[in-house]
Amino acid sequence: MDENKKAAQKKKVTHFITMAVLVILFLAFIFPFIMVIINAFKTKGDITADPLALIGSHGFILTNFTDAMKKMNFATSFTNSLMITTISTIFTILLSAMTAFVIVRNKWKACGLLFSLMIASMVIPFQVLMIPLVSLYGGIFGVLNSRITLILMHIGFSLSMATFMFHGAIHTSIPLELEEAALIDGCTRWQTYWKIVFPLLKPTIATVAIIDAMAFWNDYLLPSLVLGRKELYTLPIATQAFYGTYSTDLGLVMAALLLAMLPILVLYLFLQRYIVEGVTSGAVKG
Amino acid sequence: MERNTMKYKVKQYLMFAGVSTVLFCAVVILPFIYGLYLTFTSWDGVSKEKPFVGLANYIATFQDAAYWQALGRTLIYSVIAVILVNVVAFFLAYLLTSGIKGQNFFRAGFFVPNLIGGIVLGYVWKFVFNRAFVALGKSLSVGALSTSWLATTNGAMACLIIVSVWQYAGYMMLIYVAGFMSVSKSLMEAAQIDGCTKTQATLNVTIPLMRSSFVQCLFLTITRCFMVYDVNLSLTKGEPFNSSVMAAMHVYNQAFSYKNYGTGQAEALVLFVVCAIVGVTQVYIGKKGEVAA
Amino acid sequence: MKKRISMAIAVATAAAMMTGAAVPVMADDVNITIFNSKMEIQSQFEEKAAEYTEETGVGVEVYYNSDTVSAHLATRYSANDPYTISMVDPKDIYSLAADHAIDLSDQSWVNETDYAIGVDGQINGFPTCLEARGLIYNADAIEAITGETFNPDDYKTLDSFKELLEKLKEGGMETPTGIMKEDWSLAAHFLAEIYEEQPDVEAFITSLHEGTADLANNEKFNSLMDFFDVMMENNYAKDSAIAAERETTEMMLAEGQIAFLFGGNWDWSVINAYDYTENMGMMPVPQNTDDGSNEKLVGGGSKFMMIDSSDATSDEQRQAAKDFLTWLADSDEGQSFIAETCALVPAFSNNEKEVSDPLGKSVKKYADEGALIPNYNYLPDDHISMCGAIFQKYLAGQVDRAEFAAELENYWQNTTPVEH
Repeated sequence: MDENKKAAQKKKVTHFITMAVLVILFLAFIFPFIMVIINAFKTKGDITADPLALIGSHGFILTNFTDAMKKMNFATSFTNSLMITTISTIFTILLSAMTAFVIVRNKWKACGLLFSLMIASMVIPFQVLMIPLVSLYGGIFGVLNSRITLILMHIGFSLSMATFMFHGAIHTSIPLELEEAALIDGCTRWQTYWKIVFPLLKPTIATVAIIDAMAFWNDYLLPSLVLGRKELYTLPIATQAFYGTYSTDLGLVMAALLLAMLPILVLYLFLQRYIVEGVTSGAVKG
Repeated sequence: MERNTMKYKVKQYLMFAGVSTVLFCAVVILPFIYGLYLTFTSWDGVSKEKPFVGLANYIATFQDAAYWQALGRTLIYSVIAVILVNVVAFFLAYLLTSGIKGQNFFRAGFFVPNLIGGIVLGYVWKFVFNRAFVALGKSLSVGALSTSWLATTNGAMACLIIVSVWQYAGYMMLIYVAGFMSVSKSLMEAAQIDGCTKTQATLNVTIPLMRSSFVQCLFLTITRCFMVYDVNLSLTKGEPFNSSVMAAMHVYNQAFSYKNYGTGQAEALVLFVVCAIVGVTQVYIGKKGEVAA
Repeated sequence: MKKRISMAIAVATAAAMMTGAAVPVMADDVNITIFNSKMEIQSQFEEKAAEYTEETGVGVEVYYNSDTVSAHLATRYSANDPYTISMVDPKDIYSLAADHAIDLSDQSWVNETDYAIGVDGQINGFPTCLEARGLIYNADAIEAITGETFNPDDYKTLDSFKELLEKLKEGGMETPTGIMKEDWSLAAHFLAEIYEEQPDVEAFITSLHEGTADLANNEKFNSLMDFFDVMMENNYAKDSAIAAERETTEMMLAEGQIAFLFGGNWDWSVINAYDYTENMGMMPVPQNTDDGSNEKLVGGGSKFMMIDSSDATSDEQRQAAKDFLTWLADSDEGQSFIAETCALVPAFSNNEKEVSDPLGKSVKKYADEGALIPNYNYLPDDHISMCGAIFQKYLAGQVDRAEFAAELENYWQNTTPVEH
């Protein structure tokens, strides 16, 4: 009895310490974000004067949001961003999971070569590819200023990392026996993949979806190279209107940031369930 | 057996990886080859002529002292940042998969920093280092805090590392969380029934099974730190006295601000090779001992 | 699962096809694009372009990009998708015009300005405005302490300026000055004055390259650095000059917590975000000299517009672009857009519109009197970064003036001269 009590007490203390550590770290992590929120409701003057004040001397203002929406052409940019991010993310996941599967399950030379190239390519600084990319697709093929081009480029650039992540997941957590059983039952490789393997990859799919969707949604450099027309602008390009060498309207920038990040936050909260679900469903057993 | 014929292999490959291969080559490999060609020219980035100069840009690269200094600096920064990011991220993931109250809320909170990028990130952290820390240091009369860290050479480096940890820890936490989750609970339970404590079970069962998460996170942090640019630009801009110019920023300046596109491109390729050697070696070692399910 | 996936693919494909819908292009109308590199006038410019389109039927779209001008244009040229009109800095005209710009010497506005520039004997750049550097003052803040009307002409010498600072300090303004630690301010704006105020600038630059210049004993170097030392001594952020933030410094100047800051009339776009006073202005840098430089600001034409010469731009577009520039220079509406709407100082003598901001008014006054020392536009591309870093060390107190001079000399000797 005494033993149990002691153990329970020890557990409580550990729990308390864990919680305290988490809360402190949490505050440190969240602090800059809180600053963005409070400053989005202030004038530029008030931000410089006292960034920590909850309400600036010009009062609580919403004009940053209305101005930002107007200047960014919000509805158009938002639709563009949404379309490009959604389509790119879906195709990246589908293609890279398939690629990873064929690489993991076969010891073919082509697979090894592709995988090595992909890994190496993740290390290429984007600046190296920037000018050649626009020279090829703008100067020679003339296919810039199109959303489809951007989507295909997004997919091309993100395949490597997504494949790399699926590679790890398939290698360690998809039991070969399940697939062999399905093959014996008369399934083709293609059917086995979609019926057995892909559903089991849910936690990784959710992770890749978040990481890639976030990368696409926030990417500035590539879209700014590909989309040179205002009606094609995505949110990050539209936000550039507030940045300057000699002056930057921080209130507007922060309001724009908040407007732009909400969808990703919602997506994250939604997908997080799947990361957890992947375990509780207990599908993965050795 | 049908499965061993060349035709079967090609068909399988194309079915699963055909589209990927085409897109990947079109977007990454082709421009890379063209970029490689440009390193043998003295192009300035804007003129119509691209005179061929052979290896001159590589010679210039090896003679560019500022570049090697930046590369050395990047190396130091990367080693410290990679270790810290992964320690913090793993620790967070461990705590946040232990069934603690409000873990979903915490996970979201630690992830949020990822969503702040560019100039806002620079602004917010400049405020923290220049004013919040200084005010704190003065009121507590802590000498180390009472002047801005961003004003000193080592301080600026420390600031870059802190912000990188803040930015990437939540991201890597996500991958570690997925790793923890994919190790089935029953294995842990079995280990505990066999007499392991929870810590022992984590060390001996979970961590080895999470090897691929480690490989991924290390690779991602190594490459990202090596190529750090955004944080560098928005937080320090290389200041003070160009003492915090990292390799990617130097390369960008060389190519575009100083209009030596060819040399900049060559320096970027050297950066790529260094980074690829480190990153790929790490993956190779990591994957070699991977435990298959 | 399979069903869901095929659904997802179907939806994605459908959406992909929709996004492919071509951008509507009006076949008959001429459309031109303008690259604006002056962020503070972007929204005014966009509005004016819309009005212009309505009046003339020529589609004008104004773009802005926060990247370095030359880097951004490099990507557009590589993509064979240049802007019809690009607004760039003088050094970009010199590096780009030969390959990418048309000759504008036959345009009517050329006779109305002294500031148009070009290469190979041509005129390629249309000067959007005049900009000048000098000492910005907040007269309200000064008058509140001295009780007298502030007249900048009384403080031409460093000695008189020092006396004024002492008076301000006695009156309660403990630190009357601010310094921008940004490399462009230190190297491209302040340090450049040391070259620009030399009796023969080209000869001086050549002697720097050749290593024959003796900076430490150079009259202008010492005269201007004496002034800089006074600014450093009275800097509100003296303890951590290298961490001072520009926004904060400009706010303090606008609100009169400090009285002096070395800068240019573009600083107004920052100052006007705070509780500013109209009673501000710009004055020459006070120096104990009799070479006349303490009666002049340094500056000239700025932000030059050039018209693209490539095949990607049609002759109709080029004509429309020329018409637009002529409209900007000669029409009443265009003139009022530059001077009143954008608060820029016009670079054309036929534009007699009142400049709307106090710093611009000072620049206009000195320009009209012919009291502008011209910009030197041929500094090497890495000058800002390299010399900015050297200057920051001086500002941080890490090197003294002799070491500072030696490091600058060392930079110049190891740098290839800019051909021009």
